[in-house]
Amino acid sequence: MGKVKTLNQLTKLMAIALRHRIGARVNENELYVEKYARDAEIIMNEAEKVVEQFNWSRKDKQIIKNKLTKKLYQELKKKEFIHEDKFGLIDQEVKQALLEFGLWVE
Amino acid sequence: MVSFKKQVSKGSRFNQIYVPKELASKIEVGDEVEVRLLKKAVSLNYSYSIHKISPFKERIIKNIFSILQSIKSITNVCVVGSFLTKKIMYRDVDIVVITKEKNKGIEQKVYKRLLEDIELNFHVISLSKQELDKLLSICPLTRMMFQTYISNTPLDVKKNKRIDKKHIQFLLMMPIDLLTITLESRVFYDALRRLITIDVFLENKPMTTPKIHAQIEHIIGERTTKLLQENKLIDEAILKKLRIIMRKKINSIRKDITHGESKDSKSTNKTNGDSTAT
Repeated sequence: MGKVKTLNQLTKLMAIALRHRIGARVNENELYVEKYARDAEIIMNEAEKVVEQFNWSRKDKQIIKNKLTKKLYQELKKKEFIHEDKFGLIDQEVKQALLEFGLWVE
Repeated sequence: MVSFKKQVSKGSRFNQIYVPKELASKIEVGDEVEVRLLKKAVSLNYSYSIHKISPFKERIIKNIFSILQSIKSITNVCVVGSFLTKKIMYRDVDIVVITKEKNKGIEQKVYKRLLEDIELNFHVISLSKQELDKLLSICPLTRMMFQTYISNTPLDVKKNKRIDKKHIQFLLMMPIDLLTITLESRVFYDALRRLITIDVFLENKPMTTPKIHAQIEHIIGERTTKLLQENKLIDEAILKKLRIIMRKKINSIRKDITHGESKDSKSTNKTNGDSTAT
């Protein structure tokens, strides 16, 4: 798979995983916080495998950050049942996830 | 002061404590005595779906209950999950501690306390009785979890059901994602199990882990079930078939929850109307 396609796959997986993470954070049923967080981690593990396929330049990292932020916003918008507080957590979660993968750029 | 320790025994009309023979002259008929509870006996209360577990597991559970007796804020301890349903392939011992009120630090406290004496992998969840009752009425997975349990005191598992569309939609998130992304095959098994559990909940059918598993086997076949359970690689044809099955289930659940909610709101309106008329 080419770099552009891989980048798209990566941001798709990460956006879905972060939607789960944010869903866990704003969910009122505490019993399920852990369950949703675990779902998020399963998808993040898959994303990690994709990250390892290429060396990502600073420019790539910038593109990943922008695409991920946009895709995550769309993902959250589609899921109306997730509490409205979700949008306020986007930047924080994107930064943390990119830091985890060594993809963060200011 | 004369004192002795005895176990309470079962009488035909009342439970009783006998004065030992050698103390008969010291504690006589008409004397005033005080009885204090020193240690609560550990009893195992089985849910209807389990008949018996191995003596080894019984000993572990009794030990768990005995250790947690000293934590006063816990009203009930339940062992649930694969430790009860699987012979050897259980991943951890799932414990639900029920407290009178919400108690944030209790999970860590219970976990540490258990690990001091029992070297097993524990997974502890705490819930207040109120939270548990709410989850039992709205959540298929919680209801499923409490189909098979052993508790230290009798547990009142509420049977009433309410369709909470938002909660079901949350549960559907992962199965829906699997229609477009490919993850390890075990995740597909868990998603299918989740879908069938929700389906069974919505249709008011009786649910137990073996029945859900049997249904999965019936739908996707024994061989595919085994592949998924063992997290083995699956080919595109199987993946395609799984997605078709999952999509059908998701659509039918979506229909049911919309229908179920409108039925709920109709009955609420009717109730409200009645009460206004009265």
